[in-house]
Amino acid sequence: MGLYGSRGKGSYAYGCYASLVIIIIVFIAIGLYYMFSGRGGEFDVGWVLEKISPYSYACLGIGISIAFSVMGAGWGMFITGASIVGAGVKAPRIKTKNLVSVIFCEAVAIYGIIIAIILTQNIGSTTDEDWVENYNTYVYNGYCLFFAGLLTGLCNLACGICVGIVGSGAALADAQNGELFVRILVIEIFGSAIGLFGVIIAVLLGNNKKISSS
Amino acid sequence: MADAPAYAPFFGCMGAASAIIFSSFGAAYGTAKSGVGISAMAIMKPDLIMKSIIPVVMAGILAIYGLVVAALLIGKIDPAPGYTLFHSFCHFAAGLAVGLCGLASGFAIGIVGDAGVRATAQQPRLFVGMILILIFAEVLGLYGFIVAIILHLKV
Repeated sequence: MGLYGSRGKGSYAYGCYASLVIIIIVFIAIGLYYMFSGRGGEFDVGWVLEKISPYSYACLGIGISIAFSVMGAGWGMFITGASIVGAGVKAPRIKTKNLVSVIFCEAVAIYGIIIAIILTQNIGSTTDEDWVENYNTYVYNGYCLFFAGLLTGLCNLACGICVGIVGSGAALADAQNGELFVRILVIEIFGSAIGLFGVIIAVLLGNNKKISSS
Repeated sequence: MADAPAYAPFFGCMGAASAIIFSSFGAAYGTAKSGVGISAMAIMKPDLIMKSIIPVVMAGILAIYGLVVAALLIGKIDPAPGYTLFHSFCHFAAGLAVGLCGLASGFAIGIVGDAGVRATAQQPRLFVGMILILIFAEVLGLYGFIVAIILHLKV
């Protein structure tokens, strides 16, 4: 890694912490300004949460679900793929069997797209009368769709990286001894279950939460 | 109503999401780290693989804690007039409790599992010691689960 790599890593960490601290200080300063100028009631976090359109929440959830799921799948694929081809230099027989690890990572992306499509069925156009009548329900549905998408994306991110790391270990062990692959595959199946739990909760949370008039 | 504003379900849903997200991160870390250890020691001692899957199973149980709490919370989150800020913040706290405790427990199980399976391959008498340490690490996640259930029942 050398001098350049370690210095780069250190400055990234300081940059992240510094920007986070600056954002928190700005937020507190704005809040204090409102409070000391007698308009404390106007600094209203709940108003922001409520007035962001439910369509915005729902669509962000849909986007996040597919984006982070695919990110997790890709991350897992490059981790396991690099090990498969690296170990395959001396043991080319492993390449076909270890594609199963790559397919497990692909399944993570498929979970994301399934949830994104399920969540998409819930949004449509609404009329003004429906909006006045069902305001609280639409706001609630927006939150549910957002968090359903968010939790799918992040659970699949974790699952994809986990499956990739275990698949990498499986490829390296398989290159040494051909019988080990199937046993280490059991660990990958446990890892894959994590993404499945995310899908289950997302379906529970996001199913039938409609923001549409039809 | 001042006590049941329209944004109240936000925190309840965030609790349900945190429950499953953070415990998934913990379970994934535990599975991956232990998996690396198992893959490394499997080359030396292939017959110990099935015994060494115990850390992976225990990490999976953390994800199940998160799943159960998230499912319980989702059953109780409702749209605004019936759902007060009291409900929503209790559910938020329940989700954070099980999620972050599962994250911590997953980290512990992963690191102990990795070191433990490698050491057990070299010295089989360490197996029981590794299991004891893993049980203590798993119990951390259970504490979060218990607090989450208490908060959930408080409604």
